[in-house]
Amino acid sequence: MKYIISIILIFNISVVNANEIFNLLKIPNLEIYNTNNLNGLKYLYAESNFKIGLKKNISCDKSKKKELDKKYPIVEKNFNKYKANFLIKNNLKFIILCENLTVSSINTGGIPNILKRSLILDINFNQKHFERMIHHEFFHMIQAKHNMIFDEALWSEFNRTSFKYSECSTCSDRTDLNLYEYTDGFLTEYSKSIPSEDMAEIFSFLMTNKELVEKKIENDLILKNKVKYLQKNLKLIDNNFMF
Amino acid sequence: MIKKIKSSLSEKILFTFLISLAVFTFGSFYLIKNKCLFVKELDLDGLKISDPKNLAIMDVECGKVAIELYPQVSPKSVERFKYFVNSGLYNNSAFYRVIENTLVQAGDLEFGYHDNINYFKIGSGTSKLGKLKSELSNDYEFKAGTVAMARGEFDTEDSEFFIILKDIPLYQGEYTPVGKVIFGLDALKKIKVGNKTDYVLRPDYIKEFQLLEN
Repeated sequence: MKYIISIILIFNISVVNANEIFNLLKIPNLEIYNTNNLNGLKYLYAESNFKIGLKKNISCDKSKKKELDKKYPIVEKNFNKYKANFLIKNNLKFIILCENLTVSSINTGGIPNILKRSLILDINFNQKHFERMIHHEFFHMIQAKHNMIFDEALWSEFNRTSFKYSECSTCSDRTDLNLYEYTDGFLTEYSKSIPSEDMAEIFSFLMTNKELVEKKIENDLILKNKVKYLQKNLKLIDNNFMF
Repeated sequence: MIKKIKSSLSEKILFTFLISLAVFTFGSFYLIKNKCLFVKELDLDGLKISDPKNLAIMDVECGKVAIELYPQVSPKSVERFKYFVNSGLYNNSAFYRVIENTLVQAGDLEFGYHDNINYFKIGSGTSKLGKLKSELSNDYEFKAGTVAMARGEFDTEDSEFFIILKDIPLYQGEYTPVGKVIFGLDALKKIKVGNKTDYVLRPDYIKEFQLLEN
């Protein structure tokens, strides 16, 4: 009987590379990259591949040192645009850098977790839009933390009555992240997928190229209303917030 | 007549080598078996005790550990911690999560008793007293020896606690500190580890935990 119990136990022990970071974030194989930032953000990186989630459906690969050293300054520069207070109010403290991030085998740029106050970022995701992607993913965190503020039904009403968003962001073929020449309420094709992606796209453009958005809204009332809505509600979270 | 045979130099070297090997082997066996060999014993007279009511003594396999509690930092958590110590509920509690030279964790009052351990549920037990709000301090530095309440999410602290065996600045403002080990970190470093699993099989445990003065 003892042997049977031992065998059962052996198969039920989940092997983890336990360290102090695992204890805190429940993500194995992470190491500290930089924890001395003025806005209090702690940057971690994957020392080896990891899988997390109840069904281990989230996976990300080890970051290559060379790639990490190349991308870290870009990530840091972009997050330095946010003040410590704003990050605290939006539950962001830990940035996890890794490569080939997937959720149920679908590639994604980032995965926010407001409970653990962490954002996993794929440092190799879409090189062309990498900087914008950082802010896009952070916006999902802002929205998740303040879901009462960012009303998706109200947001949808800004659009033309004939327009309908897709059922979900991954069940649509509206995936292009390039800026539209003629906007008509949407900055990119991906904005047309679902309201939260639309908000995140506008937010990310405002964070990376505010002048461009300002130019676009001169001739686009729908977009102008959306930008105003975002600005007004972000001020509700933090009155000092500015694009 | 007995002919005296003198040993050659190489025979002398071989003999010395064999003797040394035997001494080393038996010595090592003794040292490896006795993991508590170099752990110092607690001498209360040598400790600076600011308030005996806030000094807890934990008895583990390799000796006694003195913990100074900080009610001024986290009043509610220390109050509950002292209640568990005073009522003997931490006695026999297993150190089921142990990361070598990093931290030891115990205090599951439902599934984590040494003589009645439930490996499938350990770490999920409750005290039935309800959850506590996190009492975080951005100023408290998590130096080696810090004793803090364990939690899943924030505001879910109950009875489990951990002690860090090295400085972990990353924990600052993350966990509720309840005190600090002022003697006995060496004894804690000898607790059985389980680095590669969620929990330690056949773990070490707290023999006795009590306050110096009630």
